[in-house]
Amino acid sequence: MSTIPFSQAKLIELNCLEPVFFASRELSDTYYTEGLLGNYALTYALGWVNSPYRLQGQATGRPTYKEDFQTIAQSCYILPASPIGRVTFRFERFNALSDAYWYTMTNNRVATAREDLPLQRQGKKPSSFRASNFPQTGRLRMIERGNKFQTLVFGNQQLPDYIRLGKFASKVKVNVLKEFPVTLLPPGEYQSQFYLNVADLPTQIEVFAFDLISIPPAPILKNLHFRGAAWQIGEMIVPAGLHYCGRENRNE
Amino acid sequence: MSIQKLSPVLATTYENFPKGRFITLIVIRTTQSETIFRTEGSGESMCNEFVQAGVTNDNIIQRLVMTKRKQVAPERRYGREHLRAHDLLFTNIKDNSICSLNTNAPCEMCVDCFLYGFAAGGGGAQKSRIWTEDAFSILPATDVVGDRTINAIYENGTMRDEKGNASTALNTSEYIKPGVHFLDVVTLKDVTTDELRYIIGNILFTSRYGAVSSRVGRMENQILGIFGSITELPSSLELVQATYDALGEPLEHPLNINRVITATKQVITNWQNRRGVSVQLSDEELTNLISDVETHWSEAERDTFLKRLSQSYEPFRQVAPDKNKGKGKGKNKNTPVEVEN
Ligand SMILES: [Zn+2]
Repeated sequence: MSTIPFSQAKLIELNCLEPVFFASRELSDTYYTEGLLGNYALTYALGWVNSPYRLQGQATGRPTYKEDFQTIAQSCYILPASPIGRVTFRFERFNALSDAYWYTMTNNRVATAREDLPLQRQGKKPSSFRASNFPQTGRLRMIERGNKFQTLVFGNQQLPDYIRLGKFASKVKVNVLKEFPVTLLPPGEYQSQFYLNVADLPTQIEVFAFDLISIPPAPILKNLHFRGAAWQIGEMIVPAGLHYCGRENRNE
Repeated sequence: MSIQKLSPVLATTYENFPKGRFITLIVIRTTQSETIFRTEGSGESMCNEFVQAGVTNDNIIQRLVMTKRKQVAPERRYGREHLRAHDLLFTNIKDNSICSLNTNAPCEMCVDCFLYGFAAGGGGAQKSRIWTEDAFSILPATDVVGDRTINAIYENGTMRDEKGNASTALNTSEYIKPGVHFLDVVTLKDVTTDELRYIIGNILFTSRYGAVSSRVGRMENQILGIFGSITELPSSLELVQATYDALGEPLEHPLNINRVITATKQVITNWQNRRGVSVQLSDEELTNLISDVETHWSEAERDTFLKRLSQSYEPFRQVAPDKNKGKGKGKNKNTPVEVEN
């Protein structure tokens, strides 16, 4: 850990110009967004790695973070974004609607085959009335418009003015607040103010205490108190050696 | 031909990976009748939000919001009506039914599926290449929302039925007044020339939005500007705020549409100098492009146009073609209904 892969870092602010939705958690028919922006989502949103328009075959069942990030891991990194102040949320109801003149809501399914209705009334189950395997109705808890987040971007990449985040491709404004050199601090006891992705932590650090936010694809830590080498960025401190899927790679 | 001026930012064919080609449409949407936009169902108030009035004017006002989903749903439907009419919706292999929105069965092969996307449970997914944004009213909600009392009378022409029971269908409900302007930014990613024509047609020809749209919700859309770039341009919110500043006083409903258009165009002229912008169509080029779109959608050319567009996806339709020869027929009378007990 004697070299620092990134000589500079930018503190950026992300301003939600639209409500942002990620399916972080599900409770009954309500889909919750946690109050943070995951760094893997940000990496795709910044356009550092390409994700295809159409997902087919294997790609639908398994995300390809490791393969995707491998190509850029040496040149850049971004931390999960933490809220500036308290996050506010809003709830919205969603209903799937059909493009047919006639439709009915069955067991979590919008059925449109009117000719199947008599069968259904006889207690039979035409396939067009079978339950859907993805939600057709429910409520969304979204990060409200106007919430601001901040995070650190490592490397020299030029950043776009706007990015799109979440299930509904919500527009988010990117403001670079300040640029800093990254300096390496010797092993010691440190506290990090930033949100950190568990999968990206170096294996060499000793962890004392943290708060855990459990979200997919990997849990996020905050208020991490650790012993190990650290990177200093202005007044801010993070563990040295943060790396996409770093923990996983080193375990192999 | 003005559409050719956009060719540096148009794709020559559908490709599965993004390539940083952005086309931005600036749209003004004007209500032509009473309109209802709600997020929480009937009885709730109109969809609105507190935002800063302008970029420089920092008063906080309540603006009406036309959410992105409220825009894209009717516009997709418009296009799908014509795909259906020209036999260009495909039959889904899972349950042999014709492509349908929000059911288990997107066909994954029609123009709509390729362009606006779908999320099928398990099979696959296609991201939309049309990024809409919540659009905002220029004027505050308090100026442009009205109240209406609904009293449903019985067939005997009174509020009481033959047994003398009073009608309970007495209610007040809010509506958006006619003549309200929403400003909107629509971003298209990696679209081809024909896809662009299809999308612009959907926007220009869709005329009903929002709740109970068979009775209310008439809306007129106009395109005020088209940009080509390698990045995204400012948001609808920033556009409406800058336009609000540019309009000057007095601001009261109904706003003269030409005054709004002049102010909006004045704002977006500055966008030409933004980082990443390579093309902005002039007014004349824009007019030419719109008439190009209208020609392609005309009675005489629509069938050829839609079929050519549909044909352009042929190399990407992975299922063996003989399985899909029944395209457009959908669930006809000969299709056996699968029954489970
Ligand atoms: Zn389809």
